[in-house]
Amino acid sequence: MSSRSLSLVLPGLPQLLSGRWGAGAMALLTWLGMIAILLLRHERLVAAVSGSWDEQLAFATVIIGLVVSWAWSMRDVRSSHEQQVVGVSQWDLAVKAFSKNRTAVAGLILIVALYLIALVTPLVAPHPPNLQYDIVSERFLPPLGKFPLGSDQFARDVLSRLLYGARISLTIGFVAVGISVTIGTLVGAVAGYFGGIVDGAIMRFVDMIISFPRLILLITIIAIFDASIFLIVAVLGLTLWPSTARIIRGEILSLREREFVQAAAALGYPKRRIILRHLVPNALAPVIVAATLGIGNTIVLEAGLSFLGLGVQPPTASWGQMVAAGRNELLDAWWLSTFPGLAIVFTVLSFNLVGDGLRDALDPKLRS
Amino acid sequence: MRSLSRTAAARAVFAITASAVLSACGGDGGTRARPVPNVAFCQDVLPRVDAWVAQAREANPTPDDPRFGGTAVVGTIGEMADGMNAAVSSDYSATQHQQFVNLMTLVDYDVDANPRPYLAESWEVAEDNTSVTFHIRQDVYWHDGEQTDAHDVAFTYRVVTNPETAFPNAAFWNHYVQGDEGVEVLDDFTVRVLMEPHAEFLDPFRTVAILPEHLLGDVPPAELKQHPFGTQCPVGNGPFVFWSHSPQERWVFEANPAFPEALGGRPFLDRYVYRIIPEQTTLLAELLTQNIDVYISPAPDQAQRIVDDPEVELLRYPFRNYVLVGWNARRPQLSDARVRRAITMGTDRESIVQAILQGYGTVANGSVPPFHWAYDSDAPGLGYDPDGARALLEEAGWVDRDGDGIRENASGEPLSISIKYNTGNQQRQDIAEIMQAQLSEVGIEVTPQVVEWATLLQQINTPEVRDFDGVVMGWVVEFKLDDTDLFHSERIDEPFAWSGTRNADMDRLLVQLGRTVDREEARALWAEYQEVLIEEQPYTFFYFPERLDGVSTRLMGVQMDARGEWLNVKDWYLDPASR
Amino acid sequence: MAKYVLRRLVGAIPLVLGIATIIFFLINLAPGSPIDLIVGPGVTREFREQMIRNFGLDQPLHIQYVKWLGAMFTGDFGYSFSQTRPVRDVLLGFLPNTVTLSLAALFVAFLFGVVLGTVQAVRQYSALDSGLSVALLFFYSMPSFWLALMLVLVMSLMLGWFPVSGTVSTDYEFLSFTGRVVDRVRHLALPTLSLALVLTAGIARYMRGSMLEVVRQDYVRTAHAKGLPERVVVFKHALRNALIPIVTLVGLYLPFLFSGTVFIETIFAWPGMGRAIVGAIFQRDYPLVMAGSFFFATMVVLANLVADILYAVVDPRIRYE
Repeated sequence: MSSRSLSLVLPGLPQLLSGRWGAGAMALLTWLGMIAILLLRHERLVAAVSGSWDEQLAFATVIIGLVVSWAWSMRDVRSSHEQQVVGVSQWDLAVKAFSKNRTAVAGLILIVALYLIALVTPLVAPHPPNLQYDIVSERFLPPLGKFPLGSDQFARDVLSRLLYGARISLTIGFVAVGISVTIGTLVGAVAGYFGGIVDGAIMRFVDMIISFPRLILLITIIAIFDASIFLIVAVLGLTLWPSTARIIRGEILSLREREFVQAAAALGYPKRRIILRHLVPNALAPVIVAATLGIGNTIVLEAGLSFLGLGVQPPTASWGQMVAAGRNELLDAWWLSTFPGLAIVFTVLSFNLVGDGLRDALDPKLRS
Repeated sequence: MRSLSRTAAARAVFAITASAVLSACGGDGGTRARPVPNVAFCQDVLPRVDAWVAQAREANPTPDDPRFGGTAVVGTIGEMADGMNAAVSSDYSATQHQQFVNLMTLVDYDVDANPRPYLAESWEVAEDNTSVTFHIRQDVYWHDGEQTDAHDVAFTYRVVTNPETAFPNAAFWNHYVQGDEGVEVLDDFTVRVLMEPHAEFLDPFRTVAILPEHLLGDVPPAELKQHPFGTQCPVGNGPFVFWSHSPQERWVFEANPAFPEALGGRPFLDRYVYRIIPEQTTLLAELLTQNIDVYISPAPDQAQRIVDDPEVELLRYPFRNYVLVGWNARRPQLSDARVRRAITMGTDRESIVQAILQGYGTVANGSVPPFHWAYDSDAPGLGYDPDGARALLEEAGWVDRDGDGIRENASGEPLSISIKYNTGNQQRQDIAEIMQAQLSEVGIEVTPQVVEWATLLQQINTPEVRDFDGVVMGWVVEFKLDDTDLFHSERIDEPFAWSGTRNADMDRLLVQLGRTVDREEARALWAEYQEVLIEEQPYTFFYFPERLDGVSTRLMGVQMDARGEWLNVKDWYLDPASR
Repeated sequence: MAKYVLRRLVGAIPLVLGIATIIFFLINLAPGSPIDLIVGPGVTREFREQMIRNFGLDQPLHIQYVKWLGAMFTGDFGYSFSQTRPVRDVLLGFLPNTVTLSLAALFVAFLFGVVLGTVQAVRQYSALDSGLSVALLFFYSMPSFWLALMLVLVMSLMLGWFPVSGTVSTDYEFLSFTGRVVDRVRHLALPTLSLALVLTAGIARYMRGSMLEVVRQDYVRTAHAKGLPERVVVFKHALRNALIPIVTLVGLYLPFLFSGTVFIETIFAWPGMGRAIVGAIFQRDYPLVMAGSFFFATMVVLANLVADILYAVVDPRIRYE
């Protein structure tokens, strides 16, 4: 069976078989997953077309997932005959180094899988996350019974809450880091490029926020102004941007003197263009690493806030909230804390592995 | 690898050991030096205490009974705020230790809540119930050697009725004559207090411990709260002598050798330790590994574990608190009593007790807890009756006019209420969530809202604010039940009038109940009060949780009931076979 | 160099003051006051006001601020409502516990981190390298309170190897000198482990990178060329040089240790600064919150300065003006 026909039926398999297991696994898993949804949840799928926006999003994800994995695999199989003899850029070197790092690739696959699952959750989750069954007889049921991962003190399905909680935790991490990277990049770039008084003033302010004991600031603000997801994300992001700013500023300071920047200035480009088009893209490498690691940190931090009662508030489920809420029952109803705890660990682990892999790949000194 | 790791390892071990050693320094093992806080008051008084205890120990040798000896450890989540300073503390653990451990109260209660002598040998009540004369025991000594006498009682009375002290439970003394005019010292061991006739008038003397006048008499009342007597070097006259207090860690007390024989004599335990452990899982682990002997108030979900373990046992008994959802009748949707009754009828409180408390509790229909003599288990209550609830709501004019599942009134406003609860309390959160689910079935939209504790208190207690529809709260009562602050219309602008109740019958009953001294007479009034309460439904009373305690089997003689966990600490002893 | 240090120190003052000011206004603007937390039934308006007066909360905010600033300069940090002691005593009381725990955690983390990082570097890209990476990151990715609870359940409850919580056991006073030392070490073990496991990943990562960089240096290649056995090359030549930049990590990790310990302190009933400050926030104990934050901020600033200085000390290529 030629790889082309194989790719028709099981996209990703030919790549797997030929040793490119990272890309192959991603395509194959996506394909198989979406097919499974198609087969096992077709009623929900059909209903989702006209459902709420997140059901529609789930539907779209399934369709797009199928199409993209199939099309990519076909195109990849077809073009593997041609040799790539294009020049090797820094970026290509980095990608290559990254793909050699097995654990990093595994982490990446896990992250992609997680986000896909989070997107299709409305189709996959066996029960609504906040639905309470009979609280007298169906609470604290152990896993592998009526509920695959057991039920909690309100007779709610742990698995469904886990799946919906994924969306919350991943979103919090992503958005908070997104906020911090955006603000941090802008501020750091301005400080680094303009130097002088501007730099001094900005960095003084940055130093002040960094010196703040972050946890204390988080606790104070959230304790004072009631904990809503919005506030939590905002505060997490707003306490993280200074470190990004520092990194960017350092990079820009060293890049500023390089010839290509001086050339751009000599050509008369406006400052804004120089900053945004020339400096920032080259300074982004360490920021990407920091951002990836930051997402993991943020998820763990949210769990810590939940421990203190300041995280995402019930009945909304976030992983951190589930771990914190179940901690009194660790001896008896261990499944309440353990599954979300493992979910956190593996997710954050994946982000950290990817971040580490990126750092290794992007730093020329560390490649052997 | 070897050379480095050895050096590094050696360095690490050295460093850790060094810090451990340095912290271990301070007295060599064998002779124990009592830690003396670096405060003038303590440096002055503690050596006297040590001297007196040493002399008392010689004068009262320990009887030859295998029950004597050993250390018992009680583990709990909270620190005793304000310590042994009875004039400023309202914390439950602290008052318990004032009453039963370190200090003494004039009277205490027996199982049926009848007063019996403690520090007061006897007392007489005037015919017209306007005064009580106490005769103080003459064999009680403060732990620094001074004798306890009527002057201490008078001093304590003046201090707690003095507005400048800001005694937190000022309501105790509402019917007493305040300040200097309220107390007379007749002789060294006789003291009289003046009051107006009212119910349960001895209860404050069961709760408030007597303070030493010779140590605190010169302290300006406004500064009492900061005085080191409370948390750094209390000097009591009770069965246990204060030894040390490491903040947020532990309190250590030692047996008082000279405690009066007539009251039981020296406690069996040599030492009693109160440990603060802020995490419930840790507390359970400590109990199960026999590192603590008592675990105060475990969560109901942990109870099964305690029951299953053969080396610990679970004590359960009715207690003095209840959980409620208070309704703010000032809000338009909640101003009609029928709506409030419908809410109660639409909530399946029995299943909530099962689910949240694992059965360790009873549904509450009023404000009289089961331990109280006035409790009537047959008293009527509103049961779970969703159909009845719907009928009531319709009658009150709330009908679902637009088919969205939520009822509206004639002007189209939806019956939508928020229920607030504080962070960190799983049970209250559970209640709010369950109510949301159950009340949606009778057409009421409930939004649970979590608020941080201090903020919540400010929102519900501040008269100008009262920013809430419903609030899940807990309420602790004393043996003297008095809901005046909660429901009397004259108190409507005081902090605890959450419900904003204006009901003439309730006012009348509250006043009458406050004045009726005879319990039999009062019973009939309580029954009437109960009916009014149900009719008015200022709160949805939820449940009376049972108090749970985990006790190690090697600690014997432990008796706990509504009077408190520590009520017979002086009679606890360790199983001789286990030592 | 001395000028640089001086400049940094002087520059740190407005920094720390700025932080303290922000916290002051933030916590004072919070709804809810300490009074609400201790008020009992029947407390009338007058009583509440009396309590407010007793605590000095009746004065306008800016006056309270100025008073507080003035008091701080004289070392008087005010009185803590929640602990009924002067704030200075509270801080001094809890500081040794936090310091002991932090130092112990740092040492253990450094020990593990250095050893494991070296192993990783020497066996770069092998299964051991990847395996250790994953294992270390596994612990790093756990919420610390979850890790701590697991340790308690497994090590204390199930295996009984370590005490569950506390700094010392109940009979501590009766132990001999050695007994006391052993007791303290045993009680330190689990909290230290919980903290150290999180730090180890970072340190191992740095160590690995540092070793890799050193190993590529000429003098190492020379040593190899000379025919010296691998062991000697690694430990005698490479390791010492690789350790140098790790020293600066002390400065970076110290602040984390002081502020991130609240979870460990809660679970292990460790009376430390983290727990005290978080408790103070919840009880609106203004003086303690402000003094504590002020202290932390100072720690962070000083630690950063120390890190920078150490870096300059160990790396002669760096010169500060």
